[in-house]
Amino acid sequence: MRGISLAALFFVAALSAQDRVAEGIEEFRQGKYADAQATLEQALRQKPGDPHARTFLALSRAAVGGCDSAANDLSAAFTTSQDADLRRLAGLALAQCHLAHNRVDAALPVVVELEKQFPADADVLYEAAKLHMKAWNDVVFQMFQKTPASYRVNQVSAEIFEVQGRYADAVAEYRKAIEKNPAAVNLHFRLARALLMQSHTPDAMHEAREEFAAELKLNPNDAVAEYETGQILLAENKPQEAVARFERALALAPDFAEALLAVAKLRSDAKRYTDAIQLLERAARLQPENESVHYNLMLAYRNAGRNADALREKDVIDKLQRPPAGEFTEFLKKLGEKAPNQ
Amino acid sequence: MKRAVVLLVAATLAADSAELPDFRNIATQAGLDQSFPNGGNESKKYIVETTGSGVAFIDYNNDGLLDIFVLSGPGGTNRLYRNDGNGHFTDVTEEAGLKSNGWSQGVCAGDFDNDGFTDLLVTSWGGLALYRNVDGRRFENVTAKAGLKQDRARYNTGCAFLDYDNDGHLDIFVANYLKFDFATTPKPGENPYCWYRDIAVNCGPRGLPFDHNILYHNNGNGTFTDVSDASGISKPNQSYCLGVLTGDFNQDGRTDIFVACDQTPSLLYINRGDGTFSEEALVRGAALDENGKTMSGMGATSTDYDGDGKPDIFRTNFSDERETLYHNRGSGDFDDATIAAGLARNTRWVGWGCGFFDFDNDGWKDLLLVSGHVFPEVDRLNIDIRYKDRAILYRNNRDGTFTDISELAGPGILERHAARGAAFGDYDNDGSVEIVINNQNEPPTLLKNAHKPAGHWAILKLEGVKSNRSAIGAQVRVTVEGHTQLEEVRSGGSYLSQNDLRLHFGLGSATKMERVEIRWPSGIRQVERDLDADRVITLREPVK
Repeated sequence: MRGISLAALFFVAALSAQDRVAEGIEEFRQGKYADAQATLEQALRQKPGDPHARTFLALSRAAVGGCDSAANDLSAAFTTSQDADLRRLAGLALAQCHLAHNRVDAALPVVVELEKQFPADADVLYEAAKLHMKAWNDVVFQMFQKTPASYRVNQVSAEIFEVQGRYADAVAEYRKAIEKNPAAVNLHFRLARALLMQSHTPDAMHEAREEFAAELKLNPNDAVAEYETGQILLAENKPQEAVARFERALALAPDFAEALLAVAKLRSDAKRYTDAIQLLERAARLQPENESVHYNLMLAYRNAGRNADALREKDVIDKLQRPPAGEFTEFLKKLGEKAPNQ
Repeated sequence: MKRAVVLLVAATLAADSAELPDFRNIATQAGLDQSFPNGGNESKKYIVETTGSGVAFIDYNNDGLLDIFVLSGPGGTNRLYRNDGNGHFTDVTEEAGLKSNGWSQGVCAGDFDNDGFTDLLVTSWGGLALYRNVDGRRFENVTAKAGLKQDRARYNTGCAFLDYDNDGHLDIFVANYLKFDFATTPKPGENPYCWYRDIAVNCGPRGLPFDHNILYHNNGNGTFTDVSDASGISKPNQSYCLGVLTGDFNQDGRTDIFVACDQTPSLLYINRGDGTFSEEALVRGAALDENGKTMSGMGATSTDYDGDGKPDIFRTNFSDERETLYHNRGSGDFDDATIAAGLARNTRWVGWGCGFFDFDNDGWKDLLLVSGHVFPEVDRLNIDIRYKDRAILYRNNRDGTFTDISELAGPGILERHAARGAAFGDYDNDGSVEIVINNQNEPPTLLKNAHKPAGHWAILKLEGVKSNRSAIGAQVRVTVEGHTQLEEVRSGGSYLSQNDLRLHFGLGSATKMERVEIRWPSGIRQVERDLDADRVITLREPVK
């Protein structure tokens, strides 16, 4: 009778602690972190070793800013828990704690491990983006503080303006950077690109071409600068000069798919379809998702009289042009399919 | 040696200056002084404010002089201006029965009942209006009677009369842009498709639902039947369609249809000859640009610009895109010849109405396109893309290339407007082609060349007998001094507009056309020789 009774008591007590853990987790899920903290502390007093209680208590503490008291348990759960969901939650909370306290170095290995374990997880990728952004911001801030007069400050300013679509400002900053360090590679290239993003007027193209030429003087093996020069020459209707540039770009970088495409297009223009097809097939192998390559391959097959191959390429293009499932366009399209009130 | 070089330079300069036109906007003195409202001027809340409207050169009263019909958005009316024959036009909208109110988009002309008077179709967001020309005196709205009343408010854009089955009765093709209504369309900034360079702008076309194009078959008794499904026209339904261009692109004697589409592949309906069409733009190389990318196609026009005997296609596109010149390889397959033809440099304009015409009458068609952005808000950015902008005029270099001469071609070309439709025709029959342009919220532009072209010319007015009376679909080859020009009588075209149904040919120094060959839609071939230049010549289909 006593044993049964004791056993029954133990069972009731165990149930009670288990209930408290479940209750605490539920409170955590509902965002009632202070309540969850109190409930889980109580549960842990009843059952000190419960891993779920420890982890969720740490998560609750972290959620209300108690990162310091939560860190050890979060770290333990992240590295040792058998439950992937718990590992993920603990890792995310730990990374957030480190970032909140400007501990970028500590956050980095956590985020790297999270990305390894959960490579397609939106929350993980978001944390990773935040981390890298923060790291970038911190370093740039230091650069502006410690080396305000360096050409790198102008370069990084230009790159930021480019991202913001403020190309005129970007051009001005690249020019300042070049003035400070005329021998730095890549500056003329970026300036030329910003000029082209700003405008396609003949003057802009002429200026950009000169900058690409300056880049090539510093770095004669820059295949992309050769390619861009070819594009400008093409726009200026100088196909002979353009093809020489594209061929040089290919010689420097044989797997440069865009250059393969550019040469192939000029071969097609010259009715050398067999040559064009060879180049385009190679480009398609290198970049199977490249619509331009498949489009030009389709036309080259058609022009060579290989209609069946052309139609096969058309199917590839049709497939590539279909927006990926779940893309925002599709979502809006579906919304739009509801018959408008007309 | 030095002398030779100097002479060569002098000769080049002389040739250049001799061939430069001097286009002036004479709209006000010609009586075209009313403004045509079309949505907002500072900002546009809905896409429907951006796409209108077209304009037409037609001779509605058969007096041999081209009249002008201009379409309007709400707050105004479509207006018909009668050509008084003295350089002045008179507004005859009321007496002609053409008063309207709504979002008029496109206009196309053709004699659908073969009574000898040119009828009009007007497309709108909302529906269609078929105006039967009653004896050249007034127009009767016969939309319902003809069976063209639509079951819902459709966003009809470009249109064309065409005889796709060559039965002598003109059918109707109508492009549709998308499904739109004011209640459900998101407002500026409401989703990612409602932004332009960080400015909240009207939404679309991306994100708005597609619609399909329509083909109406002429039953020969004044009524039409919707054959969109049976003909295969409605099958492509993933494109936002605007400008319509008809023509026999594969030279099989049947009329095909090219449609310029916005942010989606353009369409090329190939006429199979059995009442059906197959859409083949992609594989024929006329859907995308040379990189396989979709363009924002607006207007389209066609000619044989390089004199190789095949009709080519030109399409206007959005800013930051090149216009597209599709060179016909024969049998209706095309190559993108934009760069090779020297048309790749102008990328800051949103192009709309366009046309090949021979401003200097040298026998080679030049090219004009008009422009204006869809977002008035773009002016806030202070960049080189502007809401109102100028036209672009390219001179045909006679070697498959063009030269941009816009800045040397007179003040009319340089005027800035939010232009849309443009129609081409010689309204005073002096051998020099004029252009009428519909500007949003402004009076139209009427461009006249103040510099009389040096070359001789001829205008051919074709009259079908077995074929449809307007001769739409007839192809004409004019040969002078070994150079043959190819043109086709077309309804619709440019951007939602109607050019003169007569065909204008520049003849250079020739005072006669050595050979004029007409392939009528009926299949009848007619050859005329040694026709005199510098006049309008009417040619009637020879039927035994």
